[in-house]
Amino acid sequence: MKERAFISLTNGFKDKLYRLAKRLLVSNEEAEDATQEILLKLWRNKKKMAEYKNVEAFAMTMTKNYCYDKLKAKEAGNLKIVHSNYKDERPSLQREIEAKDSLDWVGKIMDGLPEQQRMIIQLRDIEEYNNAEIAEMLGMNETAVRVALSRGRKVIRQELLKKHNYGIV
Amino acid sequence: MELSNIEKLLEKYFEGETTLSEEKKLKVYFTGESVPSHLEKYKDLFQFFSDERQVTTVSEVALSTNKNKKIPWYTWVGVAASIGLIVGLFMTNLLPGADSDQPPMLVMEHAEKGEYGTFNDPEIALQETKKALNLVAQFMNEGKRDLVYLNEFNNAKKDLVYLNEFEITKEKLIK
Repeated sequence: MKERAFISLTNGFKDKLYRLAKRLLVSNEEAEDATQEILLKLWRNKKKMAEYKNVEAFAMTMTKNYCYDKLKAKEAGNLKIVHSNYKDERPSLQREIEAKDSLDWVGKIMDGLPEQQRMIIQLRDIEEYNNAEIAEMLGMNETAVRVALSRGRKVIRQELLKKHNYGIV
Repeated sequence: MELSNIEKLLEKYFEGETTLSEEKKLKVYFTGESVPSHLEKYKDLFQFFSDERQVTTVSEVALSTNKNKKIPWYTWVGVAASIGLIVGLFMTNLLPGADSDQPPMLVMEHAEKGEYGTFNDPEIALQETKKALNLVAQFMNEGKRDLVYLNEFNNAKKDLVYLNEFEITKEKLIK
């Protein structure tokens, strides 16, 4: 496969890889690194690419595994995850008023979910894959995907209600 | 879409039972303007989802680091030649001088006999060390002799003194 063909193929889902990596790793830079790494790996194995039924799903699975490894390495090293782009936890009064901040709030709720639920919501609600595709990417069965999806969505709803009722972040 | 319908869809949504097209309807509805106040809280959620879909990576893929690049055959010839050269150099140094009665011995053979170049008698050790250092010094001097022509540099440099004239006139001009 020629470089140009490869790039035009991967451009179709490059951003999806990045968004999934960002959802899991939170940091922009790490997500960029992860995307690069995955695309390079694909490029190196381009000869085998014809064997894959669905390159996009395969790349998503690779991204998931890569991010899991990264997260595990961090835990093992007893390192605290530090992100330069992570917003201040304590909200300032002014920021609360801004509409954008309540969107950040949804993002924060999502970051608080267990990794699996976070990924499933990312893939389903943001990337709009169907459950069968998600099940294939994550190596789960469809029922488990649906259950985790529902559980994650309910947690988000609960947190949203909490915020709504108190009127504070 | 009717309000009751939306509420039903929302319920289904949280149970994870909506289809993708139903979820799209919800997204369209909640990113629109006419959302009643009791459903306002879900606006952020669906707005967030559609916003997040717009996030893109900034970096371009760099594929140039191609690992299975072919190394031309003559590279290996070069590598082999340099290894041969190095080994050859060491071998000649390892051979003892021709004046000794014994046949030349390699370090390996010394090692096999349990001799690692250590001496128990300090007197002999001193002499051996002196011998070795002498050998080094001798080679050094031989090598240094060939470097005499470097003096030509200094000679040539002396001839360049007139360049100073430049400096002097330049300073005069600046004044």
